[in-house]
Amino acid sequence: MRVAPLPGEVLGARDRDSDEELLSRARTGDAEAFRVIFDREAPGVRRFLGDLLRDDAAADEGTQETFVRAHQRLGTLEQAGKLQGWLFGIARMVFFEQLRRKRRDGPPLATSEEPREIDRAPSPEAVLLSAESDRMLEGALADLSEDRRAALLMRIDHGLGYGEIAAAMGWTLQKVKNEIHRARLQLRASLAGYLQESAQ
Amino acid sequence: MTHVPLEDLESLALGELPEDRKAAVEAHAAGCAECSRELSWLRAEKALLARRPPLQTAHLWPAVAARLTHPRRRPRWAWRAAVAAAGAAAAAAVLLVVARPHPPAPIATQQTQTQTPVATRPPRQRPAIDPKTLAALDRAEADYRDAAKVLEDEYARLRPNLDGELARRWDETLTRARAQLGESRAVAADDVNVRMRVLDGYAGYLRSLREAVQQSEEANP
Repeated sequence: MRVAPLPGEVLGARDRDSDEELLSRARTGDAEAFRVIFDREAPGVRRFLGDLLRDDAAADEGTQETFVRAHQRLGTLEQAGKLQGWLFGIARMVFFEQLRRKRRDGPPLATSEEPREIDRAPSPEAVLLSAESDRMLEGALADLSEDRRAALLMRIDHGLGYGEIAAAMGWTLQKVKNEIHRARLQLRASLAGYLQESAQ
Repeated sequence: MTHVPLEDLESLALGELPEDRKAAVEAHAAGCAECSRELSWLRAEKALLARRPPLQTAHLWPAVAARLTHPRRRPRWAWRAAVAAAGAAAAAAVLLVVARPHPPAPIATQQTQTQTPVATRPPRQRPAIDPKTLAALDRAEADYRDAAKVLEDEYARLRPNLDGELARRWDETLTRARAQLGESRAVAADDVNVRMRVLDGYAGYLRSLREAVQQSEEANP
C-alpha cells in the first residue's frame, strides 16, 4: 500500500474526486483515496448496520469489517456508480454473519409478520408531530424482519434504486418491490399502533 | 379514477422524479384523496428517517487502517460456519421442493403433436414455483453466495502461501466453476429444476473453494 499523500491533497480530494477516480486510485493501493471513500460512505453504512443490528458496538464493528472486506474486493466492483449499493451488499453479509452468532447465543429475533392494511387510520402528520416519533420509528423498524428492514431502509433512507437493492440483497426486482411494499404496510401499521398507545 | 403509479409517488417523495413528470404527479395527487394520502405517508417516512442526527464515523477509521496494513487472520470457524449454514439452507430448500410437488407440464394430445411441426412447437411450460419454495431457494442461494464470498476472501488472503503452479491451477478451476455457475444462473428465472441446478453449481463451487482454502492453510508456514 502506498504511503499517504500530503494532507492538503486529501482535503481537496473529498470535494473534487469522482467515485470513478477515487476507485481507480484506491485499486492501485492509494490508502488516502480509500480513506476518502470511507469518509463519504461510512456514515451511511454505519446507519444501515445500526438500524439492522440495533446494537452500537456491533454496528461499529460491522462497519469496520465492511470496509476491510470492501478494500480486499475493490477489484470486483465494475462500476463506480454502484459503489454505495455494493458496500451495502457487503454490509448485509456482515450483518447476517453477526446475526447467526446472535441467534446461536441469544434470544430469538423478530420474525416477519405478513403485513395488513392499516385498519386504524392515523394521519402521517400525526406520526410526524408526535413527541414520541423517534421512539415510534425505532419500534416500528424493529418490528420488521431483518431483510424487509434492510430493503426498506436502502430505498427510503439511503436512496438506492430497486436494481441496486436487488443486487445487494440477491433478490429479483419483483421481490424487492413486493418486500418494500409489505415493509411499508407493516411499518405504517406499527406506527399507527404506537401512536394509539401514546394517545392513551 | 386512474391512479398514478406508486413508483412515481415514491420518487416524488424521495425527490427523484424528473421535473417534467413531477408537475403531473403532483397535480393528480392534489385531486385524488388516495394518492394524496399515500404521498403524505411516503413523505412522512422519509422525514422521520431524515431527521435523525448525523452519525460520526471518523473514530472507526484507525482500526480499519490498521487492519488494511496488518490483516488479521480470519478464524477458521468463520468460513466453516458460513459453509455449514449455506448447506443447511440448501437442504431446507431441497426438502421444500421435494415435499411440494409442482404441477406437471400439460401433456400434448396426439392431435396437437401431429399438427405442430417440431420447429414451431411452443416452449415447454415450466412448472410454477410456489412462493414458499421460491423464498427457500432464494435464501439458499443467498447463503451459498455469502459463503462463497467468505471463502473467496479467505482464498485471496491465503493464496500467496501456495506454490505458484498450484495457485495457477486453482485459479483456473475456480474461474471455470464461476463461469459455469454464472451461465446456469443467467437462465434460472423461476424454473424449479434450473434453480436446483444452480444450487448444485454453488455446492460444487464451494467444494472447490473449500479445498483450495484448506490446501492454502496447510501450505501456511
